Amino acid sequence: MTTPVIIPTDLWDEDDRTGSIVLWLYADGASVKQGDLIAEVLVEKVTLELEAPASGTLRIQVEPEVVVNKGDTVAVIE
Amino acid sequence: MSRILTMSRAGREALDWEMERRDDIFCLGEDIYKFGGIFGTMDGFGAKYGPERVISTPISETGFIGMAAGAAMEGMHPVIDLAYIDFIGVCYNVLLNTASKTHYMSGGAVKVPMTLLIGTGGGYNNAAQHSQCLHATVAHIPGVKVVYPSNAYDAKGMLHTALRDENFTIFLTHKATAGVGWMGTPIKTTLSEVPTEDYTVPFGKVKVYREGSDVTLIGLGMSVHECLKAADALEKDGISAQVVDLRSLVPLDRDGIMEAVGKTGRLVVTDEDYLSYGVSGEILATIVERDLSILKKPPVRVTMPDIPIPFSRPMEQAILPLAGRIADAARKLMA
Amino acid sequence: MPLTAELRRSFYEKMVLSRAFDDAMIALYWEGKLPIFSFGAGPLPGELHCSNGAEPVGAGVCGALSADDMLTADHRPHHVAVCRGVDLDRMAAELLGKKTGLSQGKGGHMHIYDPAVNFASSGIIAEGMAPAAGMALARRLQKKPGVALAFIGEGAANQGAFHETLNLVGVMKLPFIVVIQDNEWGVSTSKSESTAVERNSDRAAGYGMAGEYVVSNDPDDIYEAAVRAVERARAGLGGTVLELKTARLAGHFMGDQQAYIPEQMKQVDPIPLYRAKLIRDGVLTEADADAIEAAGKARMAEAMQFAKDSPYPDASEAFDHVFAGGSEASDHVLAGGSGASDQQKTGAPA
Repeated sequence: MTTPVIIPTDLWDEDDRTGSIVLWLYADGASVKQGDLIAEVLVEKVTLELEAPASGTLRIQVEPEVVVNKGDTVAVIE
Repeated sequence: MSRILTMSRAGREALDWEMERRDDIFCLGEDIYKFGGIFGTMDGFGAKYGPERVISTPISETGFIGMAAGAAMEGMHPVIDLAYIDFIGVCYNVLLNTASKTHYMSGGAVKVPMTLLIGTGGGYNNAAQHSQCLHATVAHIPGVKVVYPSNAYDAKGMLHTALRDENFTIFLTHKATAGVGWMGTPIKTTLSEVPTEDYTVPFGKVKVYREGSDVTLIGLGMSVHECLKAADALEKDGISAQVVDLRSLVPLDRDGIMEAVGKTGRLVVTDEDYLSYGVSGEILATIVERDLSILKKPPVRVTMPDIPIPFSRPMEQAILPLAGRIADAARKLMA
Repeated sequence: MPLTAELRRSFYEKMVLSRAFDDAMIALYWEGKLPIFSFGAGPLPGELHCSNGAEPVGAGVCGALSADDMLTADHRPHHVAVCRGVDLDRMAAELLGKKTGLSQGKGGHMHIYDPAVNFASSGIIAEGMAPAAGMALARRLQKKPGVALAFIGEGAANQGAFHETLNLVGVMKLPFIVVIQDNEWGVSTSKSESTAVERNSDRAAGYGMAGEYVVSNDPDDIYEAAVRAVERARAGLGGTVLELKTARLAGHFMGDQQAYIPEQMKQVDPIPLYRAKLIRDGVLTEADADAIEAAGKARMAEAMQFAKDSPYPDASEAFDHVFAGGSEASDHVLAGGSGASDQQKTGAPA
């Protein structure tokens, strides 16, 4: 079962702002538990946090510095 | 596999772990309650520990750092966030004459256990009064321990050590290594796998990041990472560079320095503090005093020059101890 | 000088120009810095603290001064500088780090110096207090006129230098005014959280000085209070703590999300209010006001173009001006030499 890791639509307020992943706290292929903090997303100057929606193996799809929008899938958990 | 953390998160974990278990620790600093400090060292602590243990202060450094010293004398272990080392000017007396000397002047009767977290460094155009390193200025004071980790694993371990130490410790973090997102993407070599449980990294030992046989590059804080970039470039030229992180200024690992430099005989000392009267000179003095014969060539220092730090990018970039300058210095030693 | 229509119109012109300066810099600031925010990136690197909302302080206080008077300001200097008549082109160039800047690119936005109009700003909180008092002392010794003013924020009133300076001013009866720009916030710390008294102007009594408090953020009221303080100083009656409630509309620094400011504490823009007031009073028509705004923007566009067109300093210029009178070349050596491959990062930003 694969769970997508999606940038939540309520992660930041302004809809016209984009973000970018600054840091993945786990390497591609690492085991993560549901609720673990797995990434930092920077929107302008504010650092926001992304948690694992499920437990399993993390497969990173979007690297740091790439622009992300609300609703984007940035990884999956297998 | 452990999580990969930034230095900022790793240090915060250590402080959080200690604060959960000990009533003697409390925090002081500007904007720490709501903001977690300018560099996020205490992010979330206000909500978790409340305003009595996470005290946002007025802009009164002599006042609140002096108070911290007094609280420490009365059995607390205050942790102070002083965002920029450039600000030690307004509170230097507490560091110089109170927090560091009271244990000695009292013949050991009084202890001053406190930890002062300070951000250092430039490279992002914040000009002369907000870009300095000044680690020599604090390391020069007798009676204070000074540590300066450059990666997340060391940050957490050394902060645990500082918080368990009964002495006044200054814990420095270069702003460009902290990994706060608004200083650009965290530098890969500052990130580490960090265990969730507590652990300590002792003071007084250098860290060899990378073994090498031709030339030794010694760094501190951000310059360690520039040395690592330089080492990659040198490898392409067939030069094997050893990269050593001092990470502890007081106590200073003089044996470790001698051992590292002894392996190559060619030394580039990098330091983002000003050239004269500082850490880079202390390294050279150590070698000269103990055994000059380990050097095959006169050593080279790559440091900030003795000038106020200019704002404009072409000028600032030219004087920083960056990878290109470090690699060029190493190549000259090999010629 | 009485508060004439002409003077009030000049306040509006200055406020509009100051706002145009800040707005132009804010727009430029974000260039090159996103998606991952990095301070050092783009044509306007470093930190930026803009004066949006504080323009009435600049206009009202500077309106009461003469050319002899001396001003120090802090990390949020633009409105004071613009209203004092600091060279606009060269100030813009300084923020962009160009050779034509007031400090030839060495100072940047927090360190603005224009001796031609006796203006100096610097970045350590309350750092400008004692030097301003010292400038007043110098004029006394030189038997020359001049009142000294230090522009600070309300947060700086809790710094040691503030208290020491005021006591010295009180003891020496110096012609000195501290202009406390109370915008309520020291970064994220509100005044009520950091200050033991409600009004900093009440602290004046503790230092043998006069205290004045203006709440309106209106340049007319500010001007009248400033005139009283200046006259007091010139008459040899000593110093004044001039506390002016003002606004901080653009955050502490660029990028400050200001999440810590509750809805009920949101501040009001003084410029539209003053515009409306001058129109009501018959000082300006709507067309006049529009023309002033257009002129302000146009003047700023000129200054910005000058700044953009100006060259960067050469890296070697870093070694000039360490000491007056020059120095031995060997004193300021770049140990280990420069790195040719690092030079790619110099010059024009990516």
